[in-house]
Amino acid sequence: MIKITLAGIRGHILRFLLTAGAVMLGVSFVTGTFVLRDSIDATLNNLFSQALKGVDVQVRGTQSSGDGGLDDARAPLPLALEKTLTAVPGVQRVAPDVQGTALIAGKDGTAVRSGGAPTLGFAFRDDDPAFSLVAGRGPSGPSEVAVEQATLRKSGLSLGDTTRAVVGDQVRPVTITGEVVFGSMFGATAVLVDEATARSAWASDGMVSAFTITAEPGVDQDQLRAAVAAALPATAEAVTGAALDAESQEALKTGLGFFTTFLLVFAGVALFVGAFIIFNTFSMLLGQRTRELALLRAVGASRGQLQGMVLGEAVVIGLLGSALGIGLGILIALGAKAAIRVGLGASIADDLPVSAAAVGWSIVVGVLVTVASAVIPGRRASRIAPVAAMRDDLVIAPKGLRLRGSVGGALLVVGLAGLGYAVTRDDPLWPLAGVGAGLAVLGALVAAPLTTRPVVRLIAWPFAALGGVVGRLARENSLRLPRRTALTASALMIGLALITGLSVVAQSVKASVADIVTSEVTSTYVLSAGGQSLVPTSVSTAAQKLPQVASVATVNGVGVQVGAVDTFAYAGEAGPIAENFALTMRSGELAALDATHVLVDETRAEENGWTVGEAVPVRVGALPARQLIVGGIYADSQFIGQVLIDESLYEEAVPAGARGAFSVHIKAQPTADVAALRAELTTLVEPYLLVSVQDGEEFVDSSASQVDTLLNLLYVLLLFSVVVAVLGIVNTLALSIIERTREIGLLRAVGLGRRQLAGMITIESVATAVFGAVLGAGLGLALGVALQRGLRVQGLETLAIPWLGIGGMLLAASVVGVLAAVIPAVRAVRLNVLQAIATD
Amino acid sequence: MGIHVAGIESADDAAHRAGGIAFAEGLTKIYGSGEARVVALDEVDVSFERGRLTAIMGPSGSGKSTLMHCMAALDTPTSGRIVIDGVDLAGLKDRELTRLRRDRLGFVFQSFNLVPTLSARENITLPLDIAGKPVDPAWFDNVIDTIGLRDRLAHRPNQLSGGQQQRVACARALVSRPAIVFADEPTGNLDSRASAEILGFLRRSVDDFGQSVVMVTHEPSAAAYADRVLFLDDGRIVDELLSPTADSVLERMRGFDMATRRS
Ligand SMILES: Nc1ncnc2c1ncn2[C@@H]1O[C@H](COP(=O)(O)OP(=O)(O)OP(=O)(O)O)[C@@H](O)[C@H]1O
Ligand SMILES: [Mg+2]
Repeated sequence: MIKITLAGIRGHILRFLLTAGAVMLGVSFVTGTFVLRDSIDATLNNLFSQALKGVDVQVRGTQSSGDGGLDDARAPLPLALEKTLTAVPGVQRVAPDVQGTALIAGKDGTAVRSGGAPTLGFAFRDDDPAFSLVAGRGPSGPSEVAVEQATLRKSGLSLGDTTRAVVGDQVRPVTITGEVVFGSMFGATAVLVDEATARSAWASDGMVSAFTITAEPGVDQDQLRAAVAAALPATAEAVTGAALDAESQEALKTGLGFFTTFLLVFAGVALFVGAFIIFNTFSMLLGQRTRELALLRAVGASRGQLQGMVLGEAVVIGLLGSALGIGLGILIALGAKAAIRVGLGASIADDLPVSAAAVGWSIVVGVLVTVASAVIPGRRASRIAPVAAMRDDLVIAPKGLRLRGSVGGALLVVGLAGLGYAVTRDDPLWPLAGVGAGLAVLGALVAAPLTTRPVVRLIAWPFAALGGVVGRLARENSLRLPRRTALTASALMIGLALITGLSVVAQSVKASVADIVTSEVTSTYVLSAGGQSLVPTSVSTAAQKLPQVASVATVNGVGVQVGAVDTFAYAGEAGPIAENFALTMRSGELAALDATHVLVDETRAEENGWTVGEAVPVRVGALPARQLIVGGIYADSQFIGQVLIDESLYEEAVPAGARGAFSVHIKAQPTADVAALRAELTTLVEPYLLVSVQDGEEFVDSSASQVDTLLNLLYVLLLFSVVVAVLGIVNTLALSIIERTREIGLLRAVGLGRRQLAGMITIESVATAVFGAVLGAGLGLALGVALQRGLRVQGLETLAIPWLGIGGMLLAASVVGVLAAVIPAVRAVRLNVLQAIATD
Repeated sequence: MGIHVAGIESADDAAHRAGGIAFAEGLTKIYGSGEARVVALDEVDVSFERGRLTAIMGPSGSGKSTLMHCMAALDTPTSGRIVIDGVDLAGLKDRELTRLRRDRLGFVFQSFNLVPTLSARENITLPLDIAGKPVDPAWFDNVIDTIGLRDRLAHRPNQLSGGQQQRVACARALVSRPAIVFADEPTGNLDSRASAEILGFLRRSVDDFGQSVVMVTHEPSAAAYADRVLFLDDGRIVDELLSPTADSVLERMRGFDMATRRS
């Protein structure tokens, strides 16, 4: 039987290679994910151990005990604690973590940074073990900086050059005096200034986030920790370097876990699509080999043996596909690393750790998916009656599609109904929505063959009308086996449904953001740092001084807990808020906002039964809880959020080094010359390198476009499954051409030209691809709309459907159809007319 | 011999082959090489008259199908010259050959003549549809009446009997009014009654429409429908019989058998 299995593969080598190609693509994703994860893991590990060198004990603020997403907020610590710590026996060195943001202008005058990676600033200390000086000398005085090696390289500057630096919120000309090396920056840039400058820039309020303590020789970490802890106030805690290392490892593992799961989801989609293709290929191959299989049965092969033969072929294909996939996966990981290097300037470990687990999982997944997809075709093959060997017509009569259609239709309807119910509730039921969506997709897959006839007819109509008999032939070929066409198209449907759904959500996000900004922001200009950095506080202070400016509202925020509401609160002052945002008060006064009053939105007030004048417990950042009075209740605002606190509370909770605004809103004087104001503002922000001036429309655009980066990444990941599906179209077409060799010979004999033949195959391919795209667009629209409905309570209030994008996708599907037809068409055209006719 | 330009018949040919709608000179077809070398056609000179039904007979492997295929521009000869309706096939490109098949040639195979996805009517008009030419309704009616399948036109091939399928195939071969129709054992898979229908139909197309037809057959009774019978053996034309009857053909075949046996 093994001999027959291998002979079977050898006899249909091209088809098997195409099938293995589908397995390969799915598996490569799995391998690539693992390899990339392992190499990032290795890099970050290295990074942490480097950063934690010399850290025996760390003293940090205690964590706010709020549950929810805000629990990493830690209370800032006073610099004065340094003295207390130095006095603890066993302490050799105490270094306050005086750090914040800093950047320099490169040779071309623009900010030196890579992508959205952080721009870090540190205090330069000779004895700091986290970095080492490799050239020049450390900075001294406010007009000198040392620069991290990769950052310096990127800037195009060299030692001794002068440039402009933004340190915290201060801008000044500096000279580069030294070059330092960190373990690995993972894309971040770093600028170092002397201790005094650092303190004035990042700890002007005398607060820091942590102190790093090095032990005297012979003192062990635990002992020292205990001694230090005893000297600490209640707002601070001490941890050993080892514990800190374990903590960061843990956080890293969680982070990488998310990352891995995220990528594996896409690998799963690609594999699922691949399974369709494998199923289809096996079904077609066995259909074509009915006579051969029946002959084997007639000469005594048992059903089990036939099934074993098919599964044996599947194992071989699975192994081959997995092996190729592992190779491709390593290439993908290399490519991703290069992309990260170019995009973030981060170099990930040079070696590629291909772990046994990565190889093992890839093979297991590849083989299992292939074998599982071949089980049903294998069973069908084993049921072939020996008498089929003697029969001439090999077409196994397809069973009626009606039952299948009604089952699929019912699933689809039930799924969509459940989904609809789940997301239109005031409090969306996400688990039900997930089940509903799953049922709907399943239903669409099951019912798809029933839709083949009407949909393909419609798609092929223009071809049949214009292309005459070629178009009609193509249409009839696509309709010949509706099940097969549907299965091929379904593979494409899955990827495209996800893409469409995503694009609906993304478009809705953009429209919602635009709506929110347009309706709630009334500023004349907005200063922003592109969403990836904060606008330094000195910018708003300076803007305030411009004569044409009426008011400046800084959008900054901090995690707060009001009663049971855990949220990110906007902090500001009543006057500027009133002028820059359209905020409708339901009760109380906006002007009541001060250090003792908090404002909440209508929904939160209703849910918690809060009324104006009532005292509520409020925890701001990691500060201890305090009672604030509800000063006013405003109509729900997406831009402002659920809770509004006074600026002074923000300043209390956030150390100066970490402060900054997401955006700074400027309201011009009624009599102002706005064009002149813009010019003034532009001059004002120019030295800050990253800050730009936007009018209302530009602000809307830039806010909305932040969605695009993420979206593009998701599209690229989904493209994999689309490529797999396209392989499926190639495969199906190639196989169906082999089945139709004689017919093609006949058509050529009665005068069908080569071009016409290629045209016919292309139309078939396009019809299949567009069919898949139509199904995908329909399903994706339903899912996308449902997701938007469900997320409306989260602020995704405006439904926007990217019709243009969907139209483009259908167009792209036609192009893909044309491309998929190339190989099959070339093969068909090359057929020798006479030999084709003689084929049986 | 004159200089032959593709597609143009010299006066020399015209005089030489008066009345021939299609002819071949020195037609040779060799398959394979070395040990496996087979000479399927050996320097065959043949001419088929306009408006006549010619039958080709000969033992299995004698080269009948090869001759049909070469004459019908489905295959290229190793050497020799073929002229169809005044067009020299030498040097024609695939596109021109395809057009020639579509517009000037009809072909009926032994089986599998029809495209399964098309109805009988669509199969019949296929060559015209491919060419994008309009169907002459009067002529179409004429052909349909002759094959007598008017009530089956909407059916797909798998809903037709073998004989009916062959009649549809014949109708297709005639519908574009080709210069000549080649039929390779058109009745090979049919019983005697269905065969008689097909043969009667081909005969009528010659008598009523002036069609030129060449058919290969193994049946003396089928050959009797023809105006002329050519005998092929070992890639050569070895004999010819005009106005054949089933008996005279049988007679000739017998003598022919003896001749080959003697040699
Ligand atoms: N494609 C081919 N390759 C090699 N040899 C071939 C090929 N086609 C035909 N032949 C050989 O050429 C010779 C003539 O074949 P042809 O098919 O023309 O015979 P035929 O007279 O039609 O026979 P039959 O009555 O059996 O149909 C035979 O010996 C055959 O084996
Ligand atoms: Mg033959």
